[in-house]
Amino acid sequence: MNPIIIENLYKTYGKVTAVNGVNLEVRPSEIFGLIGPDGAGKTTIIRIIVSLLNPDRGQVLFKGTPIAGNMSFVRTQVGYMPQRFSLYQDLTVEENLDFFGDLFNVPKNIQVNRKNNLYEFSRLGPFKSRRAGALSGGMKQKLALSCMLMHEPDVIVLDEPTFGVDPVSRSEFWEILKSLAKKGASILVTTAYMDEAALCDRVAFIFNGRILGMDSPDKLVSQIRDSIYLVNSDAPHLLFDRVSKSGKFKGCELFGDGVHLTDSDEAGIETIKDILNTMAVSYHKIKKIDPGLEDVFLKLMNENSL
Amino acid sequence: MQRIFYLMKKEFKQILREKLFISLIFLAPLGQIIILGFAITTDVRNLNLAVVDADHSSMSARLIESLSATESFNLVCILDSEKEALREMDNGKIKLAVVIPKQFERDLKNGRQPQVQAIIDGVDGNSAGIAMAYIGQISRKLQQEWMQKTGVSNALNQDLRLVEIETRMWYNPSLESVNNIVPGIIAVLVMMITAFLTGMTIVREKENGTLEQLMVTPITSMELMLGKVLPLVIVGFILFNVGILGAGIVFGLWMKGNLFSLYLMAIVFMLSTLGLGIFASTVSQTQQQAMFIAWFFMIVALLLSGFFIPIENMPDWVQALTYLNPVRYFMVIIREIYLKGTELLYLWKEALAMLAFGLATIISAAVRFQKRMS
Repeated sequence: MNPIIIENLYKTYGKVTAVNGVNLEVRPSEIFGLIGPDGAGKTTIIRIIVSLLNPDRGQVLFKGTPIAGNMSFVRTQVGYMPQRFSLYQDLTVEENLDFFGDLFNVPKNIQVNRKNNLYEFSRLGPFKSRRAGALSGGMKQKLALSCMLMHEPDVIVLDEPTFGVDPVSRSEFWEILKSLAKKGASILVTTAYMDEAALCDRVAFIFNGRILGMDSPDKLVSQIRDSIYLVNSDAPHLLFDRVSKSGKFKGCELFGDGVHLTDSDEAGIETIKDILNTMAVSYHKIKKIDPGLEDVFLKLMNENSL
Repeated sequence: MQRIFYLMKKEFKQILREKLFISLIFLAPLGQIIILGFAITTDVRNLNLAVVDADHSSMSARLIESLSATESFNLVCILDSEKEALREMDNGKIKLAVVIPKQFERDLKNGRQPQVQAIIDGVDGNSAGIAMAYIGQISRKLQQEWMQKTGVSNALNQDLRLVEIETRMWYNPSLESVNNIVPGIIAVLVMMITAFLTGMTIVREKENGTLEQLMVTPITSMELMLGKVLPLVIVGFILFNVGILGAGIVFGLWMKGNLFSLYLMAIVFMLSTLGLGIFASTVSQTQQQAMFIAWFFMIVALLLSGFFIPIENMPDWVQALTYLNPVRYFMVIIREIYLKGTELLYLWKEALAMLAFGLATIISAAVRFQKRMS
């Protein structure tokens, strides 16, 4: 049985529809990524799953049990890490771990073992008597994760756990998540970072409260059959502006590294160069690239807004 | 149930670790007792006084001596005429002038009643009234002294005593306002700590996001509330005792009544203040908001409690309002037990009213808290 099943979920705040008919399932021992920009509805879905919010319609089955009316079941079973790392800044690393271990009624002797394991894999051991407030962002994040692992939940829900953390700590964090999944934990994680989406077993793209697409990252990427070209320019905004207004390409998106053009007619690189030249835009490099998840997301977004 | 204990353990760790809390809990109250105890006083001290002595007799000298011997008055000058005295008063140099008429001594000895006039600057009406009373006391004392000396018949003397209306302050014989203020301050201390800190520590969890984390644990909202509130009951209780000790050591004011009756009443009183704190936490997003809300209610409750302003002096409709104020009852109870040693039995009305308000406040706050949590 899939540990998290979301069926036809709706949630509105006043006139704003935060979640608009979402269906998804998290399978046993997979890392499921809920990917989308800020305000897409990720946090609302997460908070409904951990019983902090009631949906307007639809239901969530947690380990086969509907959440409505079984709040305490969910709250004792789930491992939840909210958007901001919530630990007690004025307590030490060890005191934070003890406190959460106590709250979940973990026997003291088991707590000792678990703490040692957690120190080992989070590498927080040397800092156990340091106050949480004095830890770096990456260490705080690992401590928050460790606190929530004190009761060894097999279903873990993380809301943007790597937000505002440096790249090295982020990749370390994902290593930890992978090892947890390998040990059998089912993990639902939200993120706005596309590079993290690629690390999930399956992802769902969410935008304006709607799921745009859901599959493994490879399969999602393989949806894109057209060739994608990357154009570098000193004035990428100008280039993007002119090219997208011209309507000569099926897709034209502004990325951090330049402008991505979708060549749906298979016109080839020389033709593209000619087209760009006729528009009198300057660029210094153009090359064919493999599409990434972000290309998929933008494509799905554009298709949906049509 | 065990989780309440774990949460309390954590709370105490945090309280002991936060320097701000420690000073808020122990230094502020002591400072308050000392500063307020000395500062809030309705006693008249060092009122500038001028005497116009037209008699220049030994008896007028004795009167001047008595006037200047009290701490209440500060003899500034001896003048020759009433006019001069009025000028000094207009200039603000003196607040009070006593005019001793010519032939004061002779009239007294002959059994005629000489009229000593007191002119008091009435800008501060309270002090004026009290100064007047002091002068009356002094002159009555002298009168008796002289009656015996001059040998005007003992019968007359006795008469005088029979007729004389003597106001005697029983439970605060020296009429010292400290006796009235200090128990009040102890009540305020308990109120501040429990109402403020309850609101603040709960909202702090909200601010730090730890509340959201706590809620997704097996802890129930009842356990959460008790775990947050009980440590503050203990802190409030310690503080209460610090206040009692402070009052005794600094002002020599020890409780006349039963300590345990007062403890019991303090706990009943805390129901209201904790309720206020919990309520403040349910409507606030930040610690400042919680503090402000608690502050607002506290000030109103204090002003309407009879702490500094006697309730009898208030307009009727305000007096009626004070019956809705639990602090009012606690002020009566703490002063009665402290100053008179009144048995709890005689305070049942106040105790019952306080209990009713306390239960109503804390239950409705708790219900609100529970709703917010789920």
